[in-house]
Amino acid sequence: MSNLGNLAEIVDEAARNATAVPQLTIDAPDLTPDDGYAIQAMAMARRLSRGERRVGMKMGLTSRAKMIQVNVEEVIWGRLTDGMRVEEGGFASMADYVHPRVEPEIAFLMGAPLSGNVSAVEAMNAVEAVAPAMEIIDSRYKDFKFTWADVVADNCSSSGFVIGNWCAPDTDIANAGMVMEIDGQARQIGSSAAILGHPVRSLVAAARMVAQWGESLEPGYIVMAGGATAAEPLAAGMSVRNNVQGLGAVSFQVEA
Amino acid sequence: MTSSDDKIEQAAASIRQAYETGEACAPVRELIGETDLDAAYAVQEINTKHWLDAGRRPVGRKIGLTSKVVQTQLGVDQPDYGMLYADMDVGDGEEVAHGRVIQPRVEAEVVFVMGDDLDEEQLTTADVMNAIDYAVAGIEIVGSRVADWNIRITDTIADNASSGLFVLGQEPKLISEFDMRLCGMVMERKGEPVSVGAGAACLGSPINAALWLARVMAKVGRPLMRGDIVLSGALGPMVPVSPGDVVEARINGLGSVRAVFAPEG
Repeated sequence: MSNLGNLAEIVDEAARNATAVPQLTIDAPDLTPDDGYAIQAMAMARRLSRGERRVGMKMGLTSRAKMIQVNVEEVIWGRLTDGMRVEEGGFASMADYVHPRVEPEIAFLMGAPLSGNVSAVEAMNAVEAVAPAMEIIDSRYKDFKFTWADVVADNCSSSGFVIGNWCAPDTDIANAGMVMEIDGQARQIGSSAAILGHPVRSLVAAARMVAQWGESLEPGYIVMAGGATAAEPLAAGMSVRNNVQGLGAVSFQVEA
Repeated sequence: MTSSDDKIEQAAASIRQAYETGEACAPVRELIGETDLDAAYAVQEINTKHWLDAGRRPVGRKIGLTSKVVQTQLGVDQPDYGMLYADMDVGDGEEVAHGRVIQPRVEAEVVFVMGDDLDEEQLTTADVMNAIDYAVAGIEIVGSRVADWNIRITDTIADNASSGLFVLGQEPKLISEFDMRLCGMVMERKGEPVSVGAGAACLGSPINAALWLARVMAKVGRPLMRGDIVLSGALGPMVPVSPGDVVEARINGLGSVRAVFAPEG
């Protein structure tokens, strides 16, 4: 256990100082994804002890293409804190990240607790609002390379999120077109249908997975449903915007 | 006849033979070069005349190479076009016989059906929007008569823009009834999402593609006419299909459409 605690300190310090570290599995090749979740929980406890507040969770690898790309067999989840929030229309600073990338997403705002095996209808009934969103992912591992256990330990690369205007929970998000622009140029074009076929499936999976670790999606939590396209690398000076059919747009700037 | 005319004739004959025999041919760029788009359209035009003489009924156009990524892959900065004939039309969910298209691939598109002629060369976005009767979701079943899809820009133009068959959805909508730029698209093969995208993937908007086509067609003297079907270009990556595959495309606001491929044997 103390060993996992040491590993939690490594990934937490890497995130806090925005410095890349070698993959944990180089020195600890037997780490399992469950070990990764235990490390993630301990690293999160360190963040919270520094005064950050838990505000939700994110889902990762929500497309089969991505699972295959990184050789992971199921969706993964990480924890979001208020310290990761980038204000809509505000600035994200490169200094806070190692090698950040951005993905277009959809976010859920929970209105009621949700945990365990739930149906899509039960999941949507617990949603208070949906919004266009973007996630800044930033692996703390060198060259953005990791195993399943590594990425889970590293809070599934979560490092920043930006949320647009909240829309009514019955807004159609099944197949909403998305155009993510950098400096006004369309760089990624896709649809919310890329998120497990329908973003609500990601919410159902989120409820199931947090329950395995004794957690619940609490009222007020934000759930980031997962990337709808490939990620784009960020650089200082960029202006980034995600336009989502029927939900509006969300944007931020990148500073040095 | 000059030697270059001769090569254009040879290229046209080679593609026609591939159509007739079902055996793919060598790239025609070996005859007409990799960069001469006029020569490539001259090849296409020879076969267009041949097929019109043979009694095939022209029903519209397809626009190809509407994605920035594909244009970059082929080293071009513009789309291309090919002819559509009535015999290419396959009903929604109707089985496509094995071997009907060589090396079939599918892509999901916004399809426009014209309500007016666009025979003026100087056309605007407004002219095009005014002339569209309705839009439907469509699946284009593309194919290449060139072996192994080993194509450059001149090969695909000469080969009628790699056209094959098309399936039209049956929920016609006015273009004011859906978001042409941001409409989401998902295409599933046997229930698995294999291609996703949005209207903007087609030259920023399917209307931009239609305007490009309308201007070119007016210029070359085959203007878009009332009733013409316009396959405006893929909204997501093209996907290969095999015998027995069932493909469904959904475009947000335009409904869904299915292409069904007969099992082998």
